[in-house]
Amino acid sequence: MEILVVENIVKGFGGVTAVQDLSFAVSKGEIYSIIGPNGAGKSTVFNCINGLYRPDSGTISFGGRDITGLNPDKIATAGISRTFQNLELFSRMTTLQNLLLGRHVSTTYSIWQMLTFNFRNSKAAKQEILQREKAEDVIEFLELEPYRDRPVFSLPYGVQKLVELGRALAMEPDILLLDEPAAGLNHEERQDMIFWIQDIRNELGITIVVIEHNMQLVKDISDRVLAINFGQKLVEGSVEDVLRDQSVIRAYLGEPAL
Amino acid sequence: MIVQLLISSLVTGSIYALIALAMAIIYKASEIPNFAQGEMAMVSTYITFVLLSTFGFPFLTALVLTLTFAFLLGILFEFLLIRRAKEPNLLGFIIITLGFQLLLFGLAGWKWGSDQRTFTLPFSESEVVVRTSSFVLTEHNLASLIIAMVIMVILYLILNHTKLGLAMRACQQNVGAAMFNGIPANRILGITFGISSIVGAIAGILVAPITTLDPTMMWDPLVKGFAAAVLGSMKSLPGVVIGGLLLGLIENLFGFYVSLEFKSIVAFGVIMLILFIKPSGLFAKHYIRKV
Amino acid sequence: MRLKRVYFEDIRLFKTTASLVWTLLFLLLLFLVPFIFKTYYLSVVNLMCLNVIVALGLNILVGNTGQISLGHAGFVAIGAYTAAILLQAGVPFVFTLIIAGLVSCLVGAFLGLPSLRLEGPYLAIVTLGFGLAVMVIIGRMEMFGGRMGLMIPRIDLNWSGLSYDRTLYYVFIIITILMTILAHNIIHSKIGRAFQAIRDSDIAASVTGINLVHYKTLSFAVSAFFAGIGGALWALYLQFVTPGTFSLMMSVLFLATVVLGGLGSVTGSVLGGIVMTLLNLQLEKVVTVPLFGDLIVFLSDTIMNPSGIANIRWVLTGLILILIILYEPHGLNGIWLRIKRYWNLWPF
Ligand SMILES: Nc1ncnc2c1ncn2[C@@H]1O[C@H](COP(=O)(O)OP(=O)(O)OP(=O)(O)O)[C@@H](O)[C@H]1O
Ligand SMILES: [Mg+2]
Repeated sequence: MEILVVENIVKGFGGVTAVQDLSFAVSKGEIYSIIGPNGAGKSTVFNCINGLYRPDSGTISFGGRDITGLNPDKIATAGISRTFQNLELFSRMTTLQNLLLGRHVSTTYSIWQMLTFNFRNSKAAKQEILQREKAEDVIEFLELEPYRDRPVFSLPYGVQKLVELGRALAMEPDILLLDEPAAGLNHEERQDMIFWIQDIRNELGITIVVIEHNMQLVKDISDRVLAINFGQKLVEGSVEDVLRDQSVIRAYLGEPAL
Repeated sequence: MIVQLLISSLVTGSIYALIALAMAIIYKASEIPNFAQGEMAMVSTYITFVLLSTFGFPFLTALVLTLTFAFLLGILFEFLLIRRAKEPNLLGFIIITLGFQLLLFGLAGWKWGSDQRTFTLPFSESEVVVRTSSFVLTEHNLASLIIAMVIMVILYLILNHTKLGLAMRACQQNVGAAMFNGIPANRILGITFGISSIVGAIAGILVAPITTLDPTMMWDPLVKGFAAAVLGSMKSLPGVVIGGLLLGLIENLFGFYVSLEFKSIVAFGVIMLILFIKPSGLFAKHYIRKV
Repeated sequence: MRLKRVYFEDIRLFKTTASLVWTLLFLLLLFLVPFIFKTYYLSVVNLMCLNVIVALGLNILVGNTGQISLGHAGFVAIGAYTAAILLQAGVPFVFTLIIAGLVSCLVGAFLGLPSLRLEGPYLAIVTLGFGLAVMVIIGRMEMFGGRMGLMIPRIDLNWSGLSYDRTLYYVFIIITILMTILAHNIIHSKIGRAFQAIRDSDIAASVTGINLVHYKTLSFAVSAFFAGIGGALWALYLQFVTPGTFSLMMSVLFLATVVLGGLGSVTGSVLGGIVMTLLNLQLEKVVTVPLFGDLIVFLSDTIMNPSGIANIRWVLTGLILILIILYEPHGLNGIWLRIKRYWNLWPF
């Protein structure tokens, strides 16, 4: 069943057309990778999907519902969460607080109920405790216990990447968009990341779309791969087919990644 | 009457434009809105006053000495305070410049008291150069326009046709790359503060004869100059000049045709409207951070 | 290997018994003040209360949400004038206070709207312009007494059986405590977290489901609410309001209070409000400090000017602002935390 359908989206910035008439569909429960050389428009696709950019034309639907042009917070509420290529963390807040922000949408108490926050039996306090437990689950899942109360700017890069993943997971999304999850990680951390991505899909059943330059990672995790260049689709299919495709090899020519 | 209004608009507008330029030069180089700009100019103006009235220097000598003082003041400000900020973020810088502003304000009040003095220049506000049936042009008007114009041309030449200007522009675009190419970015920023301080000082000297010389004399002009800079979008130098002139025009027309009482705040209404439509000012594209 | 804990411990008002004991002692001290000190000191504490309340609100906007306001005096003015008019009309104090807060809050939300897309200097100039505009408009309208300002009648405090000054003192203290708890709750709830998220990365905040329009406006509104309450108390404290009080300088000093106290922390706002009030009242007496005061007097007599010595206050305020940013960016709260840590390491 197709959960995310992108149809003919176009996005330009002044002179450059970053994404040109691109279409693809992601099925429920699969790990779908998007590859392409630098500047191919991969991140722009994500930005269009989660509403940071409004596509010039084309439609994006999620779970059968048209979400084109909605604000990012609406799209997040609908069940799409993501991580960023260059980390967008709440850097002065602790790991725990970052994860609690992942619970923001599910934390349902009003500003009036907040006033009674200090009483153990109030709705607000109960909610806070409940959400805290959910956040602790994520901490446990990603083994972030040692970093729980440290401000994230003070954590090693690899851990920050995990915190960001954790924040996205805490949102209990239906689909997770990961923009270069292994960029900047060393070999060991990358192996861990592969493990976690697979775990997230297998144990939590979350559909995953990954942008990645590291071909090892792409080979290890992908069910299907989409290759793009200059914002246009080159090929789509199984890992082996795509990586063997002449147009993909030409697009990457000179890049040692292949 | 309309001609007279245009003249006053141009005069106030060019003074706003000078202050706006002074702020924009720094903002372009460092993203710091320098709230101490007004007080730096005020202190420089007092220096001119002391040199003229206490020491009896001829005007030109006093001017040269004042501008040298202003330059050093700017450089020292950058070197002693700005450069040493521990967590250099926007709010921190704003606080430092506000702190420096209070410091200078207090020092000036301490030294020169808060009594207002009249400040006379070789070109006076009461001497008329041209008088026709429809308008009057005073010496001060004419001098202000000419001086403002000359400063703008000099700034343009420095920025576009000298090595220093090239280095300044390189630092504005990319500090890292500039340093890599052997440009001492820190020193360039210091010089930028110095130049900006000179421009501000000239604005101060032009303002003093219209208001009077006292420690609060630059408050209003600074706020207006800052507003003009924002209107023209802090980062475009021609933009802030146009912003200044526009502000002068809006104020004077509104003051004459609508209400003199609310003249001083109409500018903010207009700016709010414009920023509502163009959040980064008239002459800049609103930049969306790439993620 | 998760430690099973009661998470309520982390959100309760007092996390440790020690902090509860300290707070109780502090409250006891506050309670006893009228019985120990002269009436003058009551009014000093009242002034501290005002500053603390405004600082709490401004800190939520600046320290937690990362927005800038150079026009907070405008909100204080709105609160003060609303209170003045209502009290003159004979509206009971409790209602006056709440309405003053709400009117200011509403204006805050309105100012928040055009500010949504603005950053840095652009936001600074809009708020600054707002503050100036409020001052000018109030100064020109008959209804607000123009430049002459308005007198505020004393409120009815006879029910307490204590003297007016003492009762007023307790009223101020109680309101301040309530506002402090409110600020604490806001910061530690989902709302405060959303504010901080916007401060650290508005992009990430929006993709985690935070509605930027909603929360930025809310932050302005909340902050203005505090300022409005502070303003109402201000009117009551001075018994007289004039537009000149609510100047740009006042806005700058509020910002200074928050920075001095420590950005983003309730303790910081409280400390900042207290210390800044003392500084404002005492800085002119700096000449009586041994050594340092002598130096100042000496400077005054030689290179500076003895008649302008009152201005030393601005010099020192400016220096404090600069030194805080250069050497202690977390303000008094940072110092306080370090002292606490030091005592924790104490080998007993
Ligand atoms: N906010 C923006 N403003 C202007 N141009 C943009 C913006 N975002 C992306 N672009 C342009 O769009 C094109 C595609 O960028 P995009 O970030 O999507 O590439 P990418 O495939 O993610 O590359 P990389 O592998 O380097 O991350 C580039 O030319 C880029 O400069
Ligand atoms: Mg990218």
